[in-house]
Amino acid sequence: MNWAPALPLLAFTFVMLVLPATRLVNDTFALRGGGYGLDNILRVIDNPVDRQAVAGSLGLGVVQATLASLLGAPAAWLITRMRLGGRAFWLSLMNVASNFAGIGLAFGFVALIGSTGMLTLILGGLFGIEDPFPSTGSFTGMNIVYLYFNVPMFVLLTLPALSVLKDDWQEAAAVCHATRWQFWRHVGVPVLAPFVIAGWLLVFTWTIGVYAVAYAVAASPGSQKLITLQIGATLESSVFGLERAAVLSVLLMLLAAGTTVLYRLSLKRAQRWL
Amino acid sequence: MRRRIFLGLLGLYFGLPLLAALLYSVATRWTDTPLPDGYTLDHWIGVFGKPDVTSALLRSLLLSAVVVVVDVLLVVPAAYWSVVHNPRIGSVVQTIAVIPFAVPWVVVGAGLQLVTASFAPGLFGTFWLLAAATAAIAFPFMYWAVEGSLIAAGAVRLSEAAATCGANPVQTLTRVIFPAIRGGVVSGALLVVATAMNEFALAKILVGAKFETLPIWSARQFVSRTLGDPNALAVVTIFTFGFLFALSALVVRLGRGRVSTIGRTLR
Amino acid sequence: MSHVVLEDVTKRYAGHVALAGVSVSVEQGEMLALLGPSGCGKTTLLRCVAGLTAFDSGRLTIGGVDMTGVPVRRRPIGMVFQSYALFPNLTVRGNIGFPLTVRRETKTGVAERVEEMLELVGLSEQGDRLPNQLSGGQQQRVALARALAPRPEVLLLDEPLSALDAQVRHRLRDEVRRIQHQVGITTVFVTHDQAEALAISDRVAVMNAGDIEQCAAPSEIYTAPSTRFAAGFVGNRNTLELRTSGGRVTAGGAFDVEAPWERVLCMFRPEDVSLRREGPGARALVDVTVFLGATTRVYVQAEVNGSPATVFADLPSRAAASLSPGDAVRLSVDPGHVQVFPA
Repeated sequence: MNWAPALPLLAFTFVMLVLPATRLVNDTFALRGGGYGLDNILRVIDNPVDRQAVAGSLGLGVVQATLASLLGAPAAWLITRMRLGGRAFWLSLMNVASNFAGIGLAFGFVALIGSTGMLTLILGGLFGIEDPFPSTGSFTGMNIVYLYFNVPMFVLLTLPALSVLKDDWQEAAAVCHATRWQFWRHVGVPVLAPFVIAGWLLVFTWTIGVYAVAYAVAASPGSQKLITLQIGATLESSVFGLERAAVLSVLLMLLAAGTTVLYRLSLKRAQRWL
Repeated sequence: MRRRIFLGLLGLYFGLPLLAALLYSVATRWTDTPLPDGYTLDHWIGVFGKPDVTSALLRSLLLSAVVVVVDVLLVVPAAYWSVVHNPRIGSVVQTIAVIPFAVPWVVVGAGLQLVTASFAPGLFGTFWLLAAATAAIAFPFMYWAVEGSLIAAGAVRLSEAAATCGANPVQTLTRVIFPAIRGGVVSGALLVVATAMNEFALAKILVGAKFETLPIWSARQFVSRTLGDPNALAVVTIFTFGFLFALSALVVRLGRGRVSTIGRTLR
Repeated sequence: MSHVVLEDVTKRYAGHVALAGVSVSVEQGEMLALLGPSGCGKTTLLRCVAGLTAFDSGRLTIGGVDMTGVPVRRRPIGMVFQSYALFPNLTVRGNIGFPLTVRRETKTGVAERVEEMLELVGLSEQGDRLPNQLSGGQQQRVALARALAPRPEVLLLDEPLSALDAQVRHRLRDEVRRIQHQVGITTVFVTHDQAEALAISDRVAVMNAGDIEQCAAPSEIYTAPSTRFAAGFVGNRNTLELRTSGGRVTAGGAFDVEAPWERVLCMFRPEDVSLRREGPGARALVDVTVFLGATTRVYVQAEVNGSPATVFADLPSRAAASLSPGDAVRLSVDPGHVQVFPA
């Protein structure tokens, strides 16, 4: 039996991961009165709060992925160009940042830019700026907080890819009389683009799935609605049926599946030249 | 110059929230001044005398321990068999590993709630369901670390060499393979612990207040800020951060950068 | 006037002298090999000519124009890197056309020149492939074509053959020489392989510790090395450390040459050693023979001036066939082929 030693793991993960996923798909289409249909999905589409949550999650994902790429790619590039000491410092800073997560991170930001946060008081006391920061539960506020883990994640994700870009190539381009800009246009950007796209997709996927930080910063009233928060709230209250959680979960699974496929494709494309 | 400003602002952005939380954990009184009125270590000493904090910490440690044991027992034989005898196991496992990697853990929790509701209602809200669920979402870290070290150690050649020396399969595993991949197993275990210590979504959905882990305790303090104890929350925040950072530093050191630590603390 | 002239060029890295005042010139259309062990400064010298490394003091002119302060991308050079440094996302055509494209040449101009270069390096069939679909030898040809495409005045080759396996290396070595002749371009070629340097170049500059020890035609470098380092680095040599007496050194009868120092190193090539059954020469015993094809290398234990010494001789295999381990022989060396340096 060539599978025997793996059977416990396969059975366990099947029950704990595959079965729940299929159950969610089932419950998305299963009707309360029996049979299958699209009623559950339509009910979610009709619900303005759910629509806000979907728009909020997608918007947050897109903005985060884009900001993380715009800040993370140059940061990663600068880090690879640094001397050993500087590189070690920045890598550990990225590692530090990626370990300051969850509820603690939300607390750190509230202590910093909340209504009585350190920076809020400094700006107010020294420069008389009132309310310099948006509420951490708002869309903008969430973006400020989320970047804290998304930028380091993007940097750590793309650093190995940047070493693909060899110093030789820049020198060879210079010998060919190319300007720096021409090098990036013809070689640097085309070579790195698939890696950056892959990083973008991963940041997007993980951002829309974040729960702990979102739960904490969205505790204040009037905060941004998100898909994961709607799922959590639905599961805890018995007011709405659980099929609503199933529909939103399936939406997240579809997004995850789609981005994973694209992620694989872009990495494959990146490897084509190497 | 421009790069200095860019990196400086980035450094500030990463440093300040941590600094604010750190100051909060050693502040005597800090309400409306930019810096605390005074500093004290009382919160650090006091927190670990609070029964709700210590029991939450113990629950989280217990959860981590159980999850590590489950993952080691499930993953090591599967990974070994996959690398040495049947690579198709690896491709099936990698496919399943995509679920906790890409699908939000809230969704996993939602699915488990629905499954237990109809198959085993008694299981919902128990420690064992939480442990099993956490083991399931953390298993890819263990699998990648172990598989990586099996390949790096040349497990196939090692097994063949052991066989030519007359070792039976059990001797091969215990005397040759396991010592060779110990580093990978330890790295995997540390990553699993980091995941279990920080996991919030599953704990919130599957057990909630019935088994208050450290993240759940933190969330309760945070959400009910007027009733909660922000200084204690600050201490727990910095403590958790220090713990996770130490774990990941250990993993980086053990794996010399080969083991990916990315993504375990995100959800 | 020489085409490329370096005068007293120095370069230091933190506490380490990479170039200790190098002066050398390359004639129009000439191929100069920079030969030396790793770390001798030969690649640094090449990179200084390219402008990829700035030197601390000295002067470099190309075609009479001072290159100080001229950036890499304004120098009239083409370069082949040790790793080839082909752009992975561009096809063979894209790589060869790159230096022309960035010079804003017309599309048809670029295409014509690219086809010309493809033909020159014999890759007309592979024009649309990506670098990772080519063999090492093919990648090397693409790199050469890319360097030559913009018609530079000077071609710089940084160990262009070192990443190839022996057979391909020998074929490409001769190919590089053919192309260089055909194009007639002034070329500087860095290598640590003395056979390569001797085979391919018009002149060889032997480098050691940041300076040029000897710069001469290959045959002169081979037969008459002017320094101990050059003698030791180029070709296989027997080395004997001996005492002189009366201004001469006699190696137990193997040879007898003038030596104006008290202790000397005598160096001679294995092909200049003769082993005879009898006659004049030093007494020796055959130790082991190694068949190399046309020649056979014979190791002998000789007694030279009272102390034992191991000497190897390369004999025609037919002549060596009669020798077997333990045979007593007489060893002699043509005195005209013995180089003597102070010990």
